[in-house]
Parts: sequence; C-alpha cells; structure tokens
Amino acid sequence: MRKGIVQLVAIGVVIGVAVALVAVLFQWLPESASEEFDRIQDIYWFATWMSVVIFAVVAAVVVYSVWKWRVPPDDDAEGPPIHGHTGLEIAWTAVPAILVIALGIVSAVVLSRNAEEKEGALEVRALGQQFAWTFEYPELGDFETGELVLPVGRQAQFTMESVDVIHSFWVPNLGQKMDAVPGIETEIFVTPKRTGEFAVVCTELCGLGHATMRAKARVVTPAEFDQWIEEQRT
Amino acid sequence: MTATHPSPDVQQYPAHFEPPHGSTWRTFFGPGLVRGAWMTVAGFLIGMLLVLALRWWWGWEPLWNTEVILVVGGMVLAPIGFLAGIGSFDYWLHYISGRPTRPEDHSGHGAKTWKDYFRVNTDHKVIGIQYLVTTFAFFTIGGLMAMFFRAELAQPGLQFVDSQTFNGLVSVHATLMIFLFIIPAFAGLANFAVPLMLGAPDMAFPRLNALSFWLLPIAGLMFVASFLAPGGAFGAGWTGYAPLAEGQPLGQTFFNMGVQWAGASSIMTALNFLVTIITMRAPGMTFWRMPLLVWANFTTSLLVVLATPFIAGSQFFVMFDRVMHTSFFVPEGGGYVLGYQHIFWFYSHPAVYIMMLPGFGIVSEVISSMSRKPIFGYRLMALSLLGILVLGFSVWAHHMFVAGMADWLRVPMMITTLLIAIPTGIKVFSWIATLWRGRIHLTTPMLFALGFVTMFVIGGLSGIYLGSVPIDIAASDTYFIVAHIHYVLFGGSVFTIYAGVYYWFPKMTGRMYSETLGKWHFWMTFLSFNATFFPMHYVGLRGMPRRVFDYDEAFGNMNLFISIASFVLGASFVLFVYNVITSWQRGPVAEANPWRARTLEWQVSSPPPIFNFDEIPQVVGGPYEYGVPGARHAILTPTKEAQKEAEEVHA
Repeated sequence: MRKGIVQLVAIGVVIGVAVALVAVLFQWLPESASEEFDRIQDIYWFATWMSVVIFAVVAAVVVYSVWKWRVPPDDDAEGPPIHGHTGLEIAWTAVPAILVIALGIVSAVVLSRNAEEKEGALEVRALGQQFAWTFEYPELGDFETGELVLPVGRQAQFTMESVDVIHSFWVPNLGQKMDAVPGIETEIFVTPKRTGEFAVVCTELCGLGHATMRAKARVVTPAEFDQWIEEQRT
Repeated sequence: MTATHPSPDVQQYPAHFEPPHGSTWRTFFGPGLVRGAWMTVAGFLIGMLLVLALRWWWGWEPLWNTEVILVVGGMVLAPIGFLAGIGSFDYWLHYISGRPTRPEDHSGHGAKTWKDYFRVNTDHKVIGIQYLVTTFAFFTIGGLMAMFFRAELAQPGLQFVDSQTFNGLVSVHATLMIFLFIIPAFAGLANFAVPLMLGAPDMAFPRLNALSFWLLPIAGLMFVASFLAPGGAFGAGWTGYAPLAEGQPLGQTFFNMGVQWAGASSIMTALNFLVTIITMRAPGMTFWRMPLLVWANFTTSLLVVLATPFIAGSQFFVMFDRVMHTSFFVPEGGGYVLGYQHIFWFYSHPAVYIMMLPGFGIVSEVISSMSRKPIFGYRLMALSLLGILVLGFSVWAHHMFVAGMADWLRVPMMITTLLIAIPTGIKVFSWIATLWRGRIHLTTPMLFALGFVTMFVIGGLSGIYLGSVPIDIAASDTYFIVAHIHYVLFGGSVFTIYAGVYYWFPKMTGRMYSETLGKWHFWMTFLSFNATFFPMHYVGLRGMPRRVFDYDEAFGNMNLFISIASFVLGASFVLFVYNVITSWQRGPVAEANPWRARTLEWQVSSPPPIFNFDEIPQVVGGPYEYGVPGARHAILTPTKEAQKEAEEVHA
C-alpha cells in the first residue's frame, strides 16, 4: 500500500511539474502596462497555482487507477463494495470551499482597489460607434481623436458611451475592459505604468466591422502628453 | 401509464383499427409526411392571407411586409400545419370533437422498419432514437459550419466569406450545437433510458413526448434556413444581444422564433420527465434507489421548466421590437439595453447546467459499472446535483461583469459562482474515488467518461478564473471564453454524449459497436480536441477577441494550427458515424447485459420488449451494489412472487 501511495504521488508530481512548466514557459499574458493589470496578474497566478495542483491530483488518480486496476475484458470479478468515506467527503467539500473563498476575497479586494478613483485622475471619454473609437479629453479641450494617448503614471478615468450598439473597450496590455452601452454611461480606471504603443480592440460583437474596430493607444511621458494636447487644440 | 382510460361516453373504434378509406385517400389525408407537407404549405398560405387581409383592412402600407408574413405564416402557422399534418394532434382533436379516437392498442408503439422512425410514434424507445439521429444530423451541420469558419480563420483577413456570412456561420453553429444537439441529445438518451431505469412501460405522456420530438426539426430547419433569408443568417451571436439583434437583417427573426420551438420542446420534455420520475417508479424504487442518471434528469428538468420561459420572453421582446416597433430594448424609446442580458442569462446560465447535469448522470452510470464498484458517496452525488440546481439560479450576472451593470452585483455573483465549484468538485472527486481499487474495464464508453472527467476539470478550472471578477475583466469576450465553453461543452457535454451513445448502443440497437473503432475514435477526438481548444486560451489572453473574422497578424500561426487541429477533430467524427452505421447494420448481436450492470434497463432483452417489462420489476436495493454479496437492485418475476422474494431479501 505504501509503495502504491509513493507511486501515486510520483505520478502527481510528474503531471504537476509538466503542467506548471506549460504555465510558466509560455507567455500566457500580455506584458502588463498598468498598475491595475499587475494586480489582476497576481490573482491570475493565484488561480493558476491552485489549478495546477487540482488538475495534477485528479489526473494522477485517474492515470494511477487505470494503470493499477485495469482488467482484461473477460474479467468478471467485482471491486470492493466501498460506498463512501465521510472523512474524505468532508475534506473534499471543505478544502475547495476554503480555496474558492480565498480566491473570492482576494478578487474582491483587487476589484475594489482597481475601481478606486485617485486624486488628479485624467478624465477620458471613449465613444463607441460602428466601427470606430473616438476619444475626448473634456478637461483639456474641445477636440476628438481616433488615437488614445495617455500620460504614464497618472490615473485615467474612462467614461464610456455608445451611440448605436454595445461595444467593449479593451487594451490587452492595460488589463481593464468595459462595455460601452447605448443609453447608459460606464466607467473604468487605468493607471499606465510604462510607455509604449498598444492596441485598442472592441471585444463585444457589434456588427459587420467588429473585427476591424481597432485603434491605437500610446502611453507617453507627461511632457510628451502635454505637447500632444497642445497640438490637438490647434 | 400508457393506457389511458377513456370515459364510457367516448366512442372508440374496434380494437383492430381499420381506416375507413382507400389507400390513396389515406396517403393524402391520413397522418404522415405527405399530409404534413401540404398542410405546411396550407398553414403558410393561411398566415399570409391573414396578414394581407388585416393590413388591407386597416389600410397599412405597404400591403406586403415580408417579415410579418414570415413570422405569422412561415414560423407559426406553417409549423403548426406540419405538426397537424403528420398527426401529432389527431388523438386530441378527435377526443375534443367527440369523434371516435384511435383505440389504445399501442399500434403506435415499436418500430418494425426504418420508415416507422419517420412517423409520429409514441414509444419512448423509438422517440429516443429519433432524437439521437436528428440531433447528430444537426451536430454534423453545425460541425461543418465550424470547419468552414475555421478555414476562414486560418489566416488573418477575409478569404472565403463576407463578414455577415461569417457572423452568421458563428451564430448558427453555436445555436445548432446548443439547441439542436447538446440539449436534445441528452433528452434523447434520457428518453430511451429513464423509463427503463424506473421500471416503467413508457413515459407518463407518450403523445406529448412525440410532439416534443417533432418540434425539434422545425426549430433546426428554421435556424439553418435563415441563411436563405435576404441579408443572410442571423449574425448577432447565439446570445443575440440587443440592440445589435434589432438591427440585424431578416435572418434574426428565424432565431427569435426557432428558439421558441426548441424551447417549447424542452419544456414539454422536461414536464414529461418530472411526471414520469415522480409517478411512474416501479414498486420499491424510492428516490434513494434511483440511478444517478434519473436524478440528473430530474434536476435538469426542474431547471428547464423554471428557466426556459426566460429565453422565450427575451426573444419575443426582441422580435416585438423588430416587427411591432415596441421599445423594450431601444434606449431612445425608454428601453433598457441591459435588461435583455439579465433576462437572457437568467435562462442561459442555468442552460449550461441543463447541458451538463445529464452528462454527470451518464458518467456516473458508466464509471460505476465499468469499475465494478458502487458509486462513491451516492447520496452526496444526488444532493450535489440539487446544490448545483439552486446555486445555478443565482449566478447569471457573471456573464455581465463587464457589461456595465450595477457594480454592487459583481461581488455577490462572484461568490455564488465560485461556490458552484464545491458541488462540482464533490462530483469529480467522487468519480475518481469510484475508480479507486475498482476492476476497471477500459471500454470505449469508459474512455470517454475518463476523458470527460479530466477535460471537464480543465473547463471547470478555467471557469474559476472567469468567476474571479478581475480576471474576467481581462479575459471576457476573448478566445479564452471560446476555449472555456468548448472545454465545458465539448470536453464536458459532447464526451458524455459519446459515452452514453456507446454505453446504450447495444441496448438500443441489439448489436455491439466495434470496440477497436470506438477506441480510435476516442483517442483521435481526445487529442485533436485538445490541440484545437487549448491554444485558444493563449490567443485569448494575449488579446484576440472572440467572434472576429480578422485578427492581429501575431496570432496567425497559432490560428493556422488551431484550424488544422479542428479539421482532424471533424475527421474523427467520421469514424464514429462509420462505426455506428456499420455496427447497427451488421455488428455482432448484443447480449441483454454486456456490461453486467445492475440498473433495470440491462435486465431486459436488447433491444427491450415493446412494453419494456413483461413483468413489473420489484426494486429491492440500490442501483450500484457491485461487490456486495447477495445484493440486488430489482427482482423481475411476476408480481406476487416478486413480493414474496422481496420479503425474503428484507428478512
């Protein structure tokens, strides 16, 4: 029996390591460019390590059982009549409960931190319409652009609206996403933490041109941002 | 029971019913496909004339409104004409109008030739097979559509189709797979197995059962026919979000109405299952002795009955907005856009469990009998189904974390969503505990059951990522979602449907399938399934939205790989079809109980006798008492002796 347990654990470790390598060696997430996405990535890794362990446990038991207890088709014996085990059943009710509640608490904390408005937030209005994004900076002047430009290090407060159908605003590297819904206003907060060029994509099916409803996003230094605003005003 | 007891004043034909007219008359005016065809046309014409007459009466311009005529004539009266034509209503109409009804000689039972499958038949075993063949036909169509748009997606940019066709293919694919394959395929398997497992001669309402089946092809043809509508098929996704759906071409109406027919079919079947399970259990079959497949269908039916009216409502509202110019979801008219999503997901989240719980039941049957062990924690397995049922109604808004709904709703919905992991986890751990120290027969149904357990765990775990609001905000509406739903609905539901079809194939057809081909089918499906859908997690997280025909060049190679894998997945289905057809024709004759299972359906011949049990079974114990010396699930001897024997067992 002890030998069996050792073998089972060994299979579990092999599967766990293999899955963990898949999780680590591939770059599953886009490189974060915002404080909000950093926090999201922390939960992502929490969920990933939890998943690696759970998958390894289940797969190990399946593989081990089939390897150990497979019988030829003509075998007509019966297995041992085990109907249950109260201790085990309590354990596999309680342990997942603790894990998901922990994940829920961490998620709720991150969610509320990612929705905190800081002082001096830059107000940006994002307007969705078939099939283009338009951005406005109401505090900085009366102009519209098709390109999203944000200063690094300063929180941006996005307010979204749509004139026709539902769109969804997403910059993969910034992590945050929100639908632009006709008839209501929605908002998200993003704090870019490094400069660079990113893509704005629409993620809610919005009609024929949905796939091509993209825009460019640039995160620049505050000085470059001020200069860009000047250019837009004129 | 099947035999209704007509009141004395209802006239009846003599026991051997002979229709009073000649054979030509009968072909055209007797129930059947010919009368179905001309009554479909007649139904359409009546609807068309009705619309024209009313519009003329009120002086509306233009007189001809294609959409209204299609809705009233094509999608309401033509299907009713078809159903009346094939004879779904004959008994009831005769009864209502005081004319002689057909005697209950059960001439509608059993199938002697393949032609009997194309008639209104009230035998649950025939209906079960009708369901399965129909649903696999739509599975083929939906799968071909998927391969078509995977070909389009193999490279960025548009190659084969225009964007409305692309959106149409994606939408119709999902709609067919959900409403015409997974949900009704489970209904078909349960139709066949549940009455047998209960020790009942048929479902509680055999005529209603037949009607539920015949609604399905109507819904399916409506979805497919939308490609012929001017402007193309509905292209707002299977979710049909307003207001996009309201601005879609005519094809959208086919979706709005098709869902009504499929939904009506589901509700009727579910009511039938509930009444059957509650009232038609064999003597001694207490709830705690029911096989888990029966428990699963009991729970699923409760979900269907409570939730399906919501999707019906949501689609009627959209159609009213389109056809009658109401403004349920039109913001300019005071409509509430998010209202659509709340109503839609109030059905469509429970629908995920409607598409999963029957599979849980199938897998419990297969794993227990193939491991030769009692199912681990039987009562907790049944209770966890009920747990999922209750929690399933409190999580719908997790589809709307980025939809702009009330912020305060997000955390409670996240918590309930994550809690569903607990009953689901109980089920997974109990299945693998059932394997432990068993005597495992690695047959094809068992392979699919084990494939299901591992793949469903992946789908469940990606569901935990999506349950967490912050991760969902990043991953929502991307290919990560596409990967997740396919791990749940293909790795989950479809694998269990395959397991169920292989498991009951000998019982349904009386012949064995080819085990070698079955194993090839499993491994090819299992590998190509993972190759197709696992990389989708990656492209999704990296930034590829779902439902796009064009994407960033960076995802080109990965999408090419996915497309090639999806063709292999499509090819694996050919093995299955070949195996089923050849084995059905000339496979080796199956024994009554090739798996040595304990549940009741295996205690009768393969295929079962026309009324299932020649004697009423007496249930004396649990359904999975493998390895327990002297334990029995049921005794099949004539009633009095069975009772005597039962007393001895208890003593």
